[in-house]
Amino acid sequence: MIIRLLSAALAAGFFAAVVVTGLELTLTSPLIVAAERYEQAEPSHQAARALPIVLAHAGHDHAAPDGAPEWQPGPGLPRMAFTGLATLVGAVGYALLLGAVMLACGREPTPQVALAFAVAGFASVALAPGLGLPPELPGSEAAPLAVRQAWWVMTAAATAMGLYLIVVRRSLIAILGGLVLMIAPHVVGAPQAPEGASGLPAALAAQFAARSLAISFVFWTLLGLGLGRAWQVFGRGTARGTARG
Amino acid sequence: MTTSTLAPVAAGTRASERPIAVALAAFLGLGLLFMVGFSPAIAFHNAAHDFRHTQNFPCH
Repeated sequence: MIIRLLSAALAAGFFAAVVVTGLELTLTSPLIVAAERYEQAEPSHQAARALPIVLAHAGHDHAAPDGAPEWQPGPGLPRMAFTGLATLVGAVGYALLLGAVMLACGREPTPQVALAFAVAGFASVALAPGLGLPPELPGSEAAPLAVRQAWWVMTAAATAMGLYLIVVRRSLIAILGGLVLMIAPHVVGAPQAPEGASGLPAALAAQFAARSLAISFVFWTLLGLGLGRAWQVFGRGTARGTARG
Repeated sequence: MTTSTLAPVAAGTRASERPIAVALAAFLGLGLLFMVGFSPAIAFHNAAHDFRHTQNFPCH
């Protein structure tokens, strides 16, 4: 079962990543590049923003000496390639988690079941965190990174747990507890961006948020369907083997 | 094993393997996601930049 799960997650992740990388490169990457022009227009601002990232997590010395540029993929093809690679790694990671959750819930990952769990995954990591922290372009005003990451992780975990209690457990207490879990992060509220005008056009930001959520939905749908299908394909040999014995 | 009370999964899979498979997949999955979505290392951030923005991971 271990090999079957890992193989199915790899295959599903690859399948979803190929399609979604195409969508990212055509729909969102151009908007990010356009937004970076506004970001670069305020260099002092950017430096002030970059500093807490380095200091807050500096277990090792990541802080480059002043003036030394940090490594980044070159513009054009290398950047697109790294976006594709990151999408592949992320897709395989989510596929592994999706498979683990289904098996932990005692469900056979058929395409139908996997699709249902994938929609729950979309709700947990895209929709719910997006309510408080809408998908952002570079250069938008935002609260410190560590605080936003903590809220993001807690919201995703609470929403997933809430959905599990409501959909899988289904007792009255579980449903009430699930609702509380799902609503609580939004009552607490996402870390707010400081007041201040960003030079970014609102239309660009709105278009990016909509496209980002749409791409996430396609990503999760393909991941679920792909995982279910791959689970069946990789299980054929095993099922036949045990039917005989 | 508490897992034996769960509904049977695929025909022909050993139930004792399931907790290991779940733990392994969860560990690997979280590790990969941390690397591409949350790792504070500047190189990881820059490499995965456009993916992080599109998938709504907090960035910058």
